[in-house]
Amino acid sequence: MEKVMSNKFIIALYILPALLLVLTLIYVPIALTGYYGLMEWDGIGDMSFVGLENYMALLQDKNFWNSASHSFLLALFSTLSLAGYLVIALILASKIKGAHFLRKIYLIPMLLSSVAIAQLWLKIYHPSNGVVNSLLSSIGIQNPPAWLAEPQLVLYAIFVPILWQYAGFYILIYYAALKNIPSSFIEAAKIDGANPLQIAYKIKLPLISGVIKVTIVLAIVGSLKYFDLIYVMTGGGPNGASEVMASYMYQKAFGSYEFGYGSAVGFYLLLICLFVTWLIRKLTVTREDVQY
Amino acid sequence: MGITGCSGADQTGTEGTSEEIKTITFMHLWPAGSSRQHHMIVSDIIEEYEEAHPDVRIETEVLGNEQYKEKLKVLSASNELPDIGMTWAAGFMDPYVKGNMFAPLDDVLDSGLADSFIAGTTEAYAVDQVTYGLPLELNIAPIYYNQEIFNTYELEVPTTYEAFKTVVRTLADHGVTPITLGNRDRWTGSMWYMYLADRFGGPETITNAINRTGSFEDPALIQAAEEIQALVDMDAFVRGFNGLSNDEAKAPFMNGQAGMYLMGTWELPNYTTNEDVPQDFKDAIDFFKFPTVQDGEGDINSFVGGPGVGLFVAEESEVKDEAKAFVEYFVQRWGERSVTDAGVIPATIVDTETVDLPQLYIDVLDELGSASHITLYADVQMSASVAQEHLNLIQSLFGQEITPEEFAQQHEQALEDENE
Amino acid sequence: MNVGTDQRTTHSPISSQFQSRKRLSERIGYACLYVILGALAFLQLYPLVWLFFFSLKDNQEVFNQSPFSLPLDPKWENYARVWTEGNIALYFFNSVWITVISVMLTVFLASTVTFAITRMRWKWSRFVLGLFMVGLMIPVHSTLIPLFSFYLKIGLIDHPLSVILTYTAFNLPLTIMILLGFYATLPREVEEAAVMDGCSVHRIFFQVTLPMSLPVISTTVIINMIYNWNEFVFINTFISSDRYKTLTLGIQNFVGQYMTEWGAIGATLMISIIPILIAFLLLSDRIVEGITAGSVKG
Repeated sequence: MEKVMSNKFIIALYILPALLLVLTLIYVPIALTGYYGLMEWDGIGDMSFVGLENYMALLQDKNFWNSASHSFLLALFSTLSLAGYLVIALILASKIKGAHFLRKIYLIPMLLSSVAIAQLWLKIYHPSNGVVNSLLSSIGIQNPPAWLAEPQLVLYAIFVPILWQYAGFYILIYYAALKNIPSSFIEAAKIDGANPLQIAYKIKLPLISGVIKVTIVLAIVGSLKYFDLIYVMTGGGPNGASEVMASYMYQKAFGSYEFGYGSAVGFYLLLICLFVTWLIRKLTVTREDVQY
Repeated sequence: MGITGCSGADQTGTEGTSEEIKTITFMHLWPAGSSRQHHMIVSDIIEEYEEAHPDVRIETEVLGNEQYKEKLKVLSASNELPDIGMTWAAGFMDPYVKGNMFAPLDDVLDSGLADSFIAGTTEAYAVDQVTYGLPLELNIAPIYYNQEIFNTYELEVPTTYEAFKTVVRTLADHGVTPITLGNRDRWTGSMWYMYLADRFGGPETITNAINRTGSFEDPALIQAAEEIQALVDMDAFVRGFNGLSNDEAKAPFMNGQAGMYLMGTWELPNYTTNEDVPQDFKDAIDFFKFPTVQDGEGDINSFVGGPGVGLFVAEESEVKDEAKAFVEYFVQRWGERSVTDAGVIPATIVDTETVDLPQLYIDVLDELGSASHITLYADVQMSASVAQEHLNLIQSLFGQEITPEEFAQQHEQALEDENE
Repeated sequence: MNVGTDQRTTHSPISSQFQSRKRLSERIGYACLYVILGALAFLQLYPLVWLFFFSLKDNQEVFNQSPFSLPLDPKWENYARVWTEGNIALYFFNSVWITVISVMLTVFLASTVTFAITRMRWKWSRFVLGLFMVGLMIPVHSTLIPLFSFYLKIGLIDHPLSVILTYTAFNLPLTIMILLGFYATLPREVEEAAVMDGCSVHRIFFQVTLPMSLPVISTTVIINMIYNWNEFVFINTFISSDRYKTLTLGIQNFVGQYMTEWGAIGATLMISIIPILIAFLLLSDRIVEGITAGSVKG
């Protein structure tokens, strides 16, 4: 067993093609991003080396930390919403009638591209004929807020479609994980007289804990580098109120022609993600741990 | 070239005889779907040109507006610009010129083409007296208004700012949106600020503030910012304007629910030739010039506007001469056809006597002819990073998150940081 | 005896009463659950309906009417326009084959990597896994310029391979992560038995592990498929000629300098969602089917 399963040649064969792709197509850009961060460069002409100037300036950049805090808030909400997705997946994976059909419907929004989702939600939030405000005024609320124009509200307003957009993704993963549990375990628990809640809590959840940890990492890292809907729906505005790290990076690199500075933002984003992932690992490590 | 190489025949003898086809790449932003007429004119011109020059082939790549800008950026970072492409004036173009990406086009202009342009339009594409782009459009921004709404409330076209405010007040009091504005796009709000700056301080004030011979703390500019907030207080602008795109904000105007709309003359087809727009509505739309303020320095014939996109030729192009020749031809043919076929006012002189145009176009062209000054959009005048700051500040000003003084002072800060 | 019968007689009515009460509360519970599930289903299904209505409107209607109104005068010509004007048939074909190749490549490579990391013993496995995971953390836009100049150097600009390789590389980390979570739950006994029987590693991977992980593979195929199908930024940057463009780029045909044709964009989106919807419905059944096959073995 030991010997067969530690054949160096086969390990290399299984790992190297993928690793080579990732190293050339992801690591080279990462390294160059870090390098551009050391430059003053508008992305067009010659660059000039400025050392750590961009990185130091970023430490003092109010706008950057503001956008970082928005990204962290999104990460927090994404992680919390995982619990909801898990509940839905538990229900769908149980033997209730129609679960099969409901599951397909629940996952449909994840097929939509960001362009479509952005248009839909812009219409939902429209200040005068949007759905939210039509509802609010029909129950007698005068002057409902213009969701995407209010600096205090816009961030939360835009979190809703982002979380909704990813619901399908996580439900799908949880569902598949739950379906993967050998039914013998559950039958055994039923014979012992466990009710569905107990089965879910004591049998199912521990069995898919590896998957849950993976989704937590995905949710946090995905949120920290989130970009799409923010860019289309608010452009980070009004005046930075919904800016996140990735949109700030984009604004600097492609909007303001400060490619060096933008690259430094991108590199910080990477460092922050690395740190947070390391932290999650420290916090969730258990003895029979699945490594990730 | 590769094909001739295959024959293996004597290379020296092929000099004059072989038909070497030169390929020019041309990137533009008028897709067939959204800009049918523009696209058609471009295709026609290319076809004509290829017919007249069998040794030249022109390959186009067409992108949407935002994607065009993004791709141009990536291409230039790798020094891979198309032979011919589109650029915006001043602040957008500067980094490309400084990076030696665009070829000087003075030789093209000097061959007689210069006279076809409306005075002042090519200057926006010049850096240190050298021209790097040939403009294809020229727009000014009047205030469009709905005559039916004005008639209903017995309103007159305002020529003074006081009268304008009365119009706003009357409409607001009757529950009609006085002005629609999509300030998520930010340059839309910037035009309002620019007009007020012009009317209070005269046409050069904001330009001077940007080029540092003046200051954003100029009393006229602060007053303009104050007026913006006063208008917001009067509910002059559509609800939620800071969260609406220009496209979204246009809707209440097109729907007859908003009285006024300040926008570039690229909107004219919607009020004249666009077949998807009801005739009743088109008949109801007219425009007026931004009113003057009491004791202000600006005059009513001064406009905010300027050339839109222009053509550049890449400095590194391997077919630079051919590209320049094509650009010269393109600008002329575009000038002849754009206004009648696509409703685009070109930067070249249009002979209103010979073309058959809707009245609204004639009026606009007349205004252009008698304009005392055209101030280029502030965000186009500024360098890209200052422009971003300006646009963000515009949103804050309209959102009343900052005072006019802070607005001025943060502009000063951004411009100072830039010059460090 | 008496006591016993007593007990039984007293016991059973109480218990049946208890049970019927329980059944009633259970029923109410289920009713509530279904109401909630139904409402959620409606919310999740509605976007598709909305998109369909949206695709039958023109700009006037898109902006002026309530977003949930039926199209007053359905503009079927949006579809005709999109199909004839926008090169859509070609883009459609490109979307399909680029997606299929990238998905197959990604899922296969991710499976070999996950297998080697979770099932094989070697010193650097955790470190290598870490290398893959870092790939999740880089924002797409900061890779554009480096990748463009890289492909330029190796002559792959405006070549579909640049897109396929990029999709594969950028989706590998995510796919590996998902597979990893699942491999941990797959029983090892079958593999161990296979080793005892003297199977080669390849046979174990292809004939034991891969079939067992089919449900998970379907899951990752669905996710990869959706991502690649809707991807926009890379293909917009690397591809310039029409013959390799995909449906997501077709949308740009309707984005103008000063205005956008939303109805036509809606029609393009609608056309582009149909194949992915069908593929999704077929594949999502595989998640369940795969299990039944797997549970027999397990």
